[in-house]
Amino acid sequence: MSDLSLAFERASLWMISAAVILAAAMICAVIVERIALAWHLAHRRRVESRYGPLVRRALDGDAGALGVLVGSPARHRLTIARLLIVPLIADRDPGRIAATRGLVRAMSPQPSTGDRWPIADRWLRSRWWWRRVVALSALGLLQATNRTARVVAALDDPNADVRNAALDALADMQDPAALPAIVVRLHDETLQRGRRAAAIESFGSRGEAFLLELSRVDPANRLGYARALAICGTGVSRPVLCEWAGDPRAEVRAAVFEALAHVGLDDSAASLALHGLESPDAAVRAMAAGALHGWTGGGDAAPHLARHLDDTWTIAVRAARSLLSMGHAGRVELEACATRSDVAGALARQMLWEAKGPW
Amino acid sequence: MVTLGRAITAFSLVVTAYFVLWNTSQFAMGGAAARFMWRYQRRRTPRDRALVARLASPPFVSVIVPARNEALTIVDSVRALLALDYRAREIVVVNDGSSDDTLALLQQTFQLVPAPLAFEQPVKTALVRGVYRSTLEPDLVVIDKDSGGCKADAANAGINAASGQLVLVIDADTMLEPDALSRAALPFLENAATVAVGGYVGIANGCRIEGGRVTEVGMPRSWLARFQIVEYMRSFLLFRVACAVGNGATLISGAFGLFRRDAVIDVGGYDHTAIGEDMDLTIRLQKFFRARRQPIRIAFVPIPVCWTQAPEDWNSLRAQRCRWRRGLLQVLWRHRRAIANPRFGIVGTGVLPYTTVFEGLGPLLEISGYVLTTIAVAIGILNWSHYRVLIAASVLFGAATTLTAVILSDLGTRRYLAGRDLALLCAAAVLENVGYRQLNSWWGCVGTVQAITGKGGWGPMTRRAF
Repeated sequence: MSDLSLAFERASLWMISAAVILAAAMICAVIVERIALAWHLAHRRRVESRYGPLVRRALDGDAGALGVLVGSPARHRLTIARLLIVPLIADRDPGRIAATRGLVRAMSPQPSTGDRWPIADRWLRSRWWWRRVVALSALGLLQATNRTARVVAALDDPNADVRNAALDALADMQDPAALPAIVVRLHDETLQRGRRAAAIESFGSRGEAFLLELSRVDPANRLGYARALAICGTGVSRPVLCEWAGDPRAEVRAAVFEALAHVGLDDSAASLALHGLESPDAAVRAMAAGALHGWTGGGDAAPHLARHLDDTWTIAVRAARSLLSMGHAGRVELEACATRSDVAGALARQMLWEAKGPW
Repeated sequence: MVTLGRAITAFSLVVTAYFVLWNTSQFAMGGAAARFMWRYQRRRTPRDRALVARLASPPFVSVIVPARNEALTIVDSVRALLALDYRAREIVVVNDGSSDDTLALLQQTFQLVPAPLAFEQPVKTALVRGVYRSTLEPDLVVIDKDSGGCKADAANAGINAASGQLVLVIDADTMLEPDALSRAALPFLENAATVAVGGYVGIANGCRIEGGRVTEVGMPRSWLARFQIVEYMRSFLLFRVACAVGNGATLISGAFGLFRRDAVIDVGGYDHTAIGEDMDLTIRLQKFFRARRQPIRIAFVPIPVCWTQAPEDWNSLRAQRCRWRRGLLQVLWRHRRAIANPRFGIVGTGVLPYTTVFEGLGPLLEISGYVLTTIAVAIGILNWSHYRVLIAASVLFGAATTLTAVILSDLGTRRYLAGRDLALLCAAAVLENVGYRQLNSWWGCVGTVQAITGKGGWGPMTRRAF
């Protein structure tokens, strides 16, 4: 027992010392961290308050302000770059982008070549992924199209965050030369799906032709192409989408109707959508109902849709919304259904109430 | 006497080992959390966060606000929600049989009119008495229903009526950060396997609040609230972040939880019989997807996404902690077959066993350890060294652990910027281990007895206007 007590005695002394040292170390860490943070924030505030007005004036074309920025010491360049570039995330005005790009070029060591992005170039080669991300963001926001090839190459970076940042940068750059690189990575699951969609969306219909071309030689990935056309497609895609409506895969057919909802219908596409309403697959029926949104052409779509007001919920909602968008024909069907006491009746009453537009 | 002495010594050793293990594991979690938060800050550049704003059709979010007798705060809450920077959203307020002016205030302020609103009811709830829509705010829907006696029933009614593919369930007194939805929606855009996103919930006591929104963060005057601030930091920034790192989250706070609506419906919505309905839902989601070998990701936003009021009086705090305890034990009991079950991956083999040992048994071990060691030392069975070991392991190690959470909070969230606030946080991190934590453990024991005997209700909760 006395041995045990002795062991406890020793353990207690050791443990108390360890715990006190640990707690004291933590408090020291808090103090050091806070001092460093305070210094960093104060330094940043100081530099920002000094260069913020100069940046604004330089963007307005003040040569004197530009001169001060060009002569700024290297240690302030990162803060100045932040002041110049971060506002471009929200403000995509081409004039502002061009002015900022001009400023950055003027501040580079060899402005005469007009092709120098010294910090971005260096950071793009950095071994630290977060620096590569920042460099890509800057090049994208500045629309540095002379670096498109470097940014495209970053789509194969070993780090996923860098690859996604490269995709964002290409979306920001709006360089048509980058479009094929984006489209061929449409099915790359290592890239975030939201970013892939945003990249396709940023080019709008400019990506459509390449998408259609690629889809011809790659029918296995038709689902991805149909989804992309649902983002950027136009009437040009309609015949191809109509052709794909006969695809044996239900998910492809659903995506096709989603894309048709985006590009708009013609008589033959509307006929296919009406046919799609009878599909045994719920997703296909739902997308077909959605595709008929706003359709006022032939084919008696309204009665067809009205029959789906008591279908599965997601289909019923889309059918009701499409009926609401069809003008008189849709309203007649909704009014006929509104007297019912089931969910279809409630849905019809809701649509008629919304049509009155209390807002 | 010798045998008793040995038994007490052995027990004292077990309790000490428990404290050492618990604090060591918290330190390890602190390391994982630091790496996670560092990566989060590097990844979430302003350009990265702009993704949601760039999309033409970001995921539509239905914000569900269960409200029962929330007349004091409901109008400010709804106004703040309508001012969120996320445009693809609707606000669904569920008036859960309030006996105060909650509904009348909403009707008057937002000019509500009865409106037909059709919705499927995949989850059973108490009777819905009426649906109102605002003639001023097209995105506001108010569901008036009979009281279901719990938040779960009201949340389910909101989930039924929601038209968004994502549902954000919050408390009526939760104050969201303006960019909370944009931040929380990002994981859904990044990874199709994401079914839920939780976030760090800050304590609003001591903060300046304007129009239902926290505009300036500060420390409260009450030490009780200060202790809860560091306690939340420890809980959210150590354990929950570590769970998120391992994709094993078992709790998304009821104050802020963004879910895929179809996933919530697949598991039957919130269980209205569960006391800890938020934890129960999270575990059921984990079990549902893992049992079917479907990919699941539950993400976590490690910076404050919302703020909530913490109780500042002892009665409310005691009732809250006893309720949390009953909820925890009930959930662990309900999901006991998942504990140490490899079928549920890291949740079954890691998080649930850890929760059972350190949170389920923790208060009982702590209190019995303190009591027995004190008595044994007092009557001379044990000497003072045992006591010193126990105090070093619990109080000093505990203080070091909480200080780790304070550092993480300071580095990762940068909310308490005033030097005085930081000093108070450090003081609270040390002092909460002397008295407050033991009291919490005691309430844990009371909650355990209540859980076993089936006693204990919601208890008092004093609400204050913003």
